[in-house]
Amino acid sequence: MTTPTHTAASTFRGIDLVRRREFRALFESAVAPVFLIAGLVLLNSLYMNEFFLAARLDMTPLFDALAPLLAVLLPAITMRLWAEERRQRTFELWMTLPLTPWQVVLGKFVSALTLAALFLAGTLPIVFMLTRLGDPDLGRIVASYLGALCLASMLLAAGLFLSSLCRDQITAYLLAVLVAALFLATGHPRVVAVLDGMAPNAGVGRGLARYFASLPHYEAFLRGRIELGALFHFLGWTAVFLTANASAVKRLRP
Amino acid sequence: MTAPLIRVAGLTRRYGDQLAVDGVSFEVRPGEIVGFLGPNGAGKSTVLRMLSTYLPPTSGELEVAGHDIMRDPLAVRRRMGCLTEHNALFDGMRVRAFLDFVGGVHGLRGDRLAERRAWVVERTELASVLKKRIAECSKGFRQRVGLAAALIHDPPVLLLDEPTHGLDPLQVVAFRDFVRELSPGRAILFSSHILAEVAEIATRLLVIQGGRICLDARVDELEQRAAQAGDDLEGLVLDSVRRAEGAA
Repeated sequence: MTTPTHTAASTFRGIDLVRRREFRALFESAVAPVFLIAGLVLLNSLYMNEFFLAARLDMTPLFDALAPLLAVLLPAITMRLWAEERRQRTFELWMTLPLTPWQVVLGKFVSALTLAALFLAGTLPIVFMLTRLGDPDLGRIVASYLGALCLASMLLAAGLFLSSLCRDQITAYLLAVLVAALFLATGHPRVVAVLDGMAPNAGVGRGLARYFASLPHYEAFLRGRIELGALFHFLGWTAVFLTANASAVKRLRP
Repeated sequence: MTAPLIRVAGLTRRYGDQLAVDGVSFEVRPGEIVGFLGPNGAGKSTVLRMLSTYLPPTSGELEVAGHDIMRDPLAVRRRMGCLTEHNALFDGMRVRAFLDFVGGVHGLRGDRLAERRAWVVERTELASVLKKRIAECSKGFRQRVGLAAALIHDPPVLLLDEPTHGLDPLQVVAFRDFVRELSPGRAILFSSHILAEVAEIATRLLVIQGGRICLDARVDELEQRAAQAGDDLEGLVLDSVRRAEGAA
């Protein structure tokens, strides 16, 4: 009878096994194919329309459209990741396998991030087209892709955490869209002005824009700047949501 | 006497104000097949779910193969195979991929994984559904997939919650033979509310009523006791359950 030991290698192997299972599971339902096909068709057509109008070798319009699109589409990926396990009672199966909550959470997160990366890779033909047509700023494009991946990472971690709090997928989806909208809207100048106008002395709008809002950090990437503060913002929030998720999963047992 | 593979002492579990399991203590040694009996809601599944590490106990000690379930749950899970009450499986996965996943999580790979997969597939007669999705399998096949997954890592402890649920009579007979064959060197604890089924296969009976153990004895001893009293096994067990109900 086998009694294997627990090592760092087996920890990573466990995460990888969960990642592979979850990635396959994303394609077992229609969610992942619809996300990839519909999302890419929409994003690429939005960009191509802008490209022909402006006639510039610039991918900024694509990344501008990408942020709200991710806020609406990524929760569709994460909404089922825990809520469905609870509905189908497979949560108990996870909790009796020799895996820690962290391994399961990271495996699920990396599988969703891989899908988001695949989605971003679907826009690479545009980069190829721009390089064939002229000499676009490749450094700026690379920084923009990095920013998009950082934003996706934060939104996926938030969605995954919210899915662990909900029994049904629709609630998980709506909550995740709301949180994503808060992260993006609080950085918008109009929202900042409205919030500041409501309580001029409190500086709520500016405060939220400075410490909570993702849009200014995302826009820094779009300008070609990879700032430490922006990386810290996205990766920090990702870590916060993943930690909260592992903790929530431990508490989900009756 | 060999050391017990399952040791439960003073196990208690509350759900809010409700006491579901009240100071349960027992041990299961290698080679024993223990039938865990009790009416619905008596606390069988709660005890098994605590043993599987899914439910944390409110108080008490619980050890599997010398490992405390609270201090080292992963070591416990590595040494245990579970077939849970609802047998929830990853429905979208194909049977073979599911067995490979569970085996992989238990640290099996390469030739060892292939060898163990081949063994469980042969013993649980899953060859015909290996390429099917679990969702497409009949109830009986699902039960066998759950059993195969519980056995793939060759665990010394087996927890089976209503294992014959969904099996046809022929499959039930085959299952009994299989469990007897698995028994040497293993501690097997299986729950049921059908006494005849338990008596047929178990070497020992544990009867739980109202969250407390009201009978813990070897099946041959109980049969002897029943014969002396001019009763049958069912009468003896029912007596102990009624006495426990009366005491409560």
